[in-house]
Amino acid sequence: MGRYLLGRLGSLVPILLGTSLVAFLLIRLVPGDPAVALLGMEADDTALAALRAKLALDQPLWVQYFSWLAAILKGDFGRSIQGGREVLPLLASALGPTALLSAAALAISLVIAIPAGVIAATRRNTGADYAASFVALCGLSLPSFWLGILLILLFSVQIPLLPASGYVSPLVDPAGFLARLVLPAVTLGAALAASTMRMTRAAMLEVLRSDYVRTARAKGLAPSRVVWRHAFANAQIPIVTLLGIQMGQLLGGVVITETVFAWPGIGKLTVDAIFARDYPVVQGAVLLTAALFVLINLATDLVYTVIDPRVRVA
Amino acid sequence: MTDAALANAEKPRRDWTRGLLRDPRAALGVALVLLAVILAIGAPLIAPFDPETPDFGAILSPPSAEHWFGTDDLGRDVLSRIIFGARASIVVGVLSVAGALVVGAAAGLAAGFFGRWTDAVIMRVMDVLFAFPSILLALAITAVLGPSLQNAILAIAVVNLPVFARIARAQTMVVRELEYVDAQRALGFGPWAILLRTVAPNIAAPLIVQGSLLFASAIITESYLSFLGLGVQPPAPTWGSMLRNAIGFLDMGPWLAWFPGLAIFLVVLGFNLLGDGLRDRFDPRETR
Repeated sequence: MGRYLLGRLGSLVPILLGTSLVAFLLIRLVPGDPAVALLGMEADDTALAALRAKLALDQPLWVQYFSWLAAILKGDFGRSIQGGREVLPLLASALGPTALLSAAALAISLVIAIPAGVIAATRRNTGADYAASFVALCGLSLPSFWLGILLILLFSVQIPLLPASGYVSPLVDPAGFLARLVLPAVTLGAALAASTMRMTRAAMLEVLRSDYVRTARAKGLAPSRVVWRHAFANAQIPIVTLLGIQMGQLLGGVVITETVFAWPGIGKLTVDAIFARDYPVVQGAVLLTAALFVLINLATDLVYTVIDPRVRVA
Repeated sequence: MTDAALANAEKPRRDWTRGLLRDPRAALGVALVLLAVILAIGAPLIAPFDPETPDFGAILSPPSAEHWFGTDDLGRDVLSRIIFGARASIVVGVLSVAGALVVGAAAGLAAGFFGRWTDAVIMRVMDVLFAFPSILLALAITAVLGPSLQNAILAIAVVNLPVFARIARAQTMVVRELEYVDAQRALGFGPWAILLRTVAPNIAAPLIVQGSLLFASAIITESYLSFLGLGVQPPAPTWGSMLRNAIGFLDMGPWLAWFPGLAIFLVVLGFNLLGDGLRDRFDPRETR
């Protein structure tokens, strides 16, 4: 197990270096002087000269990359062009709201998708299956920002029940936080629910055909016990794989959902920074999101080893 | 291939196209996609009004006999803007997926066929591209290069590259070991001839299925980019930018939010139904 973990961690190094290279090169692709891009148009000459020296802009590109990487590893992501705040604390403060929103969306999606997928599979080719499968396909085809806008239209404009957007800390105002969480979490959770339901259904169909399920039925076990203890337990692996992929989707999905609902997480921070041409923040956010994504994928692989002991041996 | 082999190769293909249209879901998918393509091509003939000309006498008028889908805050006909908006979605969807398919398949073929360092270099690059959530990478690329139709196509193509590369590589590694490839080697064909004449045609089917499913996500990504203002620039209409505009008028003109979203939804649903149908044809293991 320890060896497996070490091997998986080792394989992350080239990927993380690659993502850092992409984040580094992104800023170099911005037309013009990278120092101006990073400090903004209004920067004075001494600051520009200082940054040029720090970025080693007179050195070859690979020297520039490594000196930038060294700074990143020390936690120096530079300063935001707007207001001059350090990028790292800015990113850190946006992580909380994003994590809360993602967790709520994931919870909503699982509560809907797992029962729906299991029911669709156990009642294959019945009305319930067709209905669940069709709703899932529609959910998959629904652009999330449109769903978000429709929810605002219905629950904030037509029936003024919930706030259309914004955020308060759950520590300050728990009820206000929950009221503002509902619409974005449903918006983000809907698309996840759709693909989780489809995967649950497919995985269950596969398992329900297997010999041990037939044996369990033949032994006279209660149908619900066969479905949940025998079949579902073994259908979890593809579902966990999908959940891992979905965490990545979540990190992308929050970009849109947070923008629609003015939710001050990492996604909204990224979009705002893009429009303000606040490249240090864009660079930091891209790097952080990619690193999170890679780590989540690692976590998914580790969860396999818990669910399925066969993976450990392989 | 001999003539007899060619004739045999033709037969199953005709079978699956017919089977595809007999599947009601796939047939609905084909119909929705065709409708969008017809609207995109025939937009100037079909649209009742000019999509970009303001009419300040008809600002924010609700759906009516004259303006079926109402008008926006500048009095522009929403129906006409949706019809013209099909162009951006279809063009970006088709070109970005086609570009990703060609480049990604070439990269995957080379990686799978030549192996060793070619494989290592190509696939590590793909792994890195895969390490970004796709929307974020597309956003970052368009943000750096500037918002435009071309850059949206480029960004979405880059995001989809690793998907095609991985499939092409896996398939190539299987096909490479098959006897007819050995036979060609024995006959003295060079690696490029084998790659292009024998391997490439044999890995096409899963790539095409994946491509049809990726149209749906490419069109959604395009709508996200234009929703955020990073796609085709105004006044040219796109469904995403129409929705962005609608947010400012949710109380005065809710219809502005209804129809562009419905258009995206139907086209994406069409591509998803078509892709599901194609996958069922090509991959009998998938149970429905």
